Amino acid sequence: MLDVAPATPFDPKDYLRLQYMPHFMCPGCGHGIALRALLAAVHDCGIAKDDLAVVCGIGCSGRVGGYIDANTFHTTHGRPLAFATGLKLARPDLTVVVVTGDGDCLAIGGNHLIHAARRNLDLTCLMLNNEVYGMTGGQASPTTAATRLTSTTQSGAIEPTFDACALAAAAGAGFVGREVTRQAPALKTLIARALRHKGFSFVEVMSDCTEVYGRKNDLGEAPEMILSQKADMRPEQHNDAPNQPFRPNALPTGVFVERDLPEYGARLRAHAAMIRGDTAR
Amino acid sequence: MRPLSQDDIAPTPWPVTTGMNILVVGVGGQGVLMISKALALMAQRRGFAVKQSEVHGMAKRGGIVFSHVRFAEQVWSPTITRGEADMLVALEWAEALRWLDHLRPGRGVFIADTRQIVPPFACRSRKRGAPSGYARETPAEIVGRHADGCALDATGIATALGDSRAANTVLLGRLSAWLDYPVAEWHDVIAAIVPKGTREINRKAFDAGRGWTPPAPDADPDLVAAVPDALPDRHVGVAIEAAWCKGCGICVKLCPERCLAMDGPKAIVATPSACTGCRVCEWLCPDFAVTVRNEGVPA
Ligand SMILES: Cc1ncc(C[n+]2csc(CCOP(=O)(O)OP(=O)(O)O)c2C)c(N)n1
Ligand code: SF4
Ligand SMILES: [Mg+2]
Repeated sequence: MLDVAPATPFDPKDYLRLQYMPHFMCPGCGHGIALRALLAAVHDCGIAKDDLAVVCGIGCSGRVGGYIDANTFHTTHGRPLAFATGLKLARPDLTVVVVTGDGDCLAIGGNHLIHAARRNLDLTCLMLNNEVYGMTGGQASPTTAATRLTSTTQSGAIEPTFDACALAAAAGAGFVGREVTRQAPALKTLIARALRHKGFSFVEVMSDCTEVYGRKNDLGEAPEMILSQKADMRPEQHNDAPNQPFRPNALPTGVFVERDLPEYGARLRAHAAMIRGDTAR
Repeated sequence: MRPLSQDDIAPTPWPVTTGMNILVVGVGGQGVLMISKALALMAQRRGFAVKQSEVHGMAKRGGIVFSHVRFAEQVWSPTITRGEADMLVALEWAEALRWLDHLRPGRGVFIADTRQIVPPFACRSRKRGAPSGYARETPAEIVGRHADGCALDATGIATALGDSRAANTVLLGRLSAWLDYPVAEWHDVIAAIVPKGTREINRKAFDAGRGWTPPAPDADPDLVAAVPDALPDRHVGVAIEAAWCKGCGICVKLCPERCLAMDGPKAIVATPSACTGCRVCEWLCPDFAVTVRNEGVPA
């Protein structure tokens, strides 16, 4: 893994499975922006495609991996972290990235998230948070903000939401950060830092589901949605805009946690060696 | 390039009662110190305590030359730290960018000459028009986005008045629009510090700077032409791959220079010449359909 970006310019086409392009995502879907930022970060870190494994769950976010020209796995709903754990323990030489959704990671896969964070195995988990189950037609997820309309909250959501970053941090993740797709270059830098971090890295990407969420909630077209992410270059200008339940203007972004904790893979291997040594005697 | 609009530069005069930190920067031999002296004298006459400190050097091309002017009821430190300058006055464009982080976030005022003095170490080849390492940021990318204020061709204005060396006074005049002091007092101060023979040209330059208005939006060939001329090395361009474009419109609405447009269900490049190579459209296209070419800004 390189510490500084390579001199060769980044061309996403070097990292895409061109035979599947254009991808299946709806016009304006933020997941495509996140995919580009991920590829740019992989390029920055100088990770060879053969040394990269991308493990995805189920959902629109889960389909992201299939477009990457690397070792990719489309696993079961909620379980990409479990698959990735097995993979990383068997092949510690690979850089393993998990791409998951808010439903995939926090609802059906919530348990896997907290335990992956607790173990601190060297994985990078990218959670594309569009506040909805996009793939299945727009049901409410654990991050759907109050009052938002979805096909399962026809008169407005009433549940409190998860703060995924706080959750991952509390569970013990070594690296935790968040960025909006509007700030794609910053997102790339954040992902690159997460990739370089040794231990469990959790990155929450605030993404726009333009079709089944934006439309239902009258959030405008793709440009209006991405503009309303507000994380503009002049924070003083958007801080006093009226706070809305969707992406409150105060939404913090950046790196929240970066700490050196014992990495699970190394620990496990040391432990195994110790046991083997014991039995040999 | 997006032309500067009136909103970008209309100064709100600052009722100076609590003092101010003003940073003046340039490349040397441009009159950084003259501006500082004028400010210091003005502040002194107004009864403020003043501290001024500088790194100077005539024609220290490529080096840094700056002057800190602080005035208030009481001033302790002679220098302005990062993020503490109320105003940044730059006599050269790359120097303006170099010191941008010293401006107070959110309310610092930025006043810069757009004139470029390319330092020797930024030249990578001796060929005419060869790419250089000079700053790529354009005034439109800075003014009104990273900082409020204005960028003007002060050297050009001074040259038109008869002496390019009065560019510093043009900037001083512009700066004065933000300070709530009468013009007559400024004229007095300038007359007190410039050589006798140059009083007239300096007074004219001051008035030209103070009265400067941005070229009217949309119809400002001067400004639009000024920067590309000075940047012969920007090999920039934007292209859209129609087969991958889904027509979401993000690039069209978010391009700061409005280069792109919708053509039915797809985006097209409408005004390729306006592209500054900032790559916003490229980063934000969810469909990998936009490619920007710019040797200066890494992909
Ligand atoms: C075990 C199981 N339960 C339910 C589903 C149906 N299902 C497919 S995708 C999905 C939700 C995906 O939401 P999210 O993770 O937020 O991804 P998005 O589509 O929003 O990117 C669900 C519930 C499934 N495929 N498998
Ligand atoms: S349904 Fe939503 S999340 Fe899924 S591809 Fe369409 S816009 Fe993206
Ligand atoms: Mg989702």
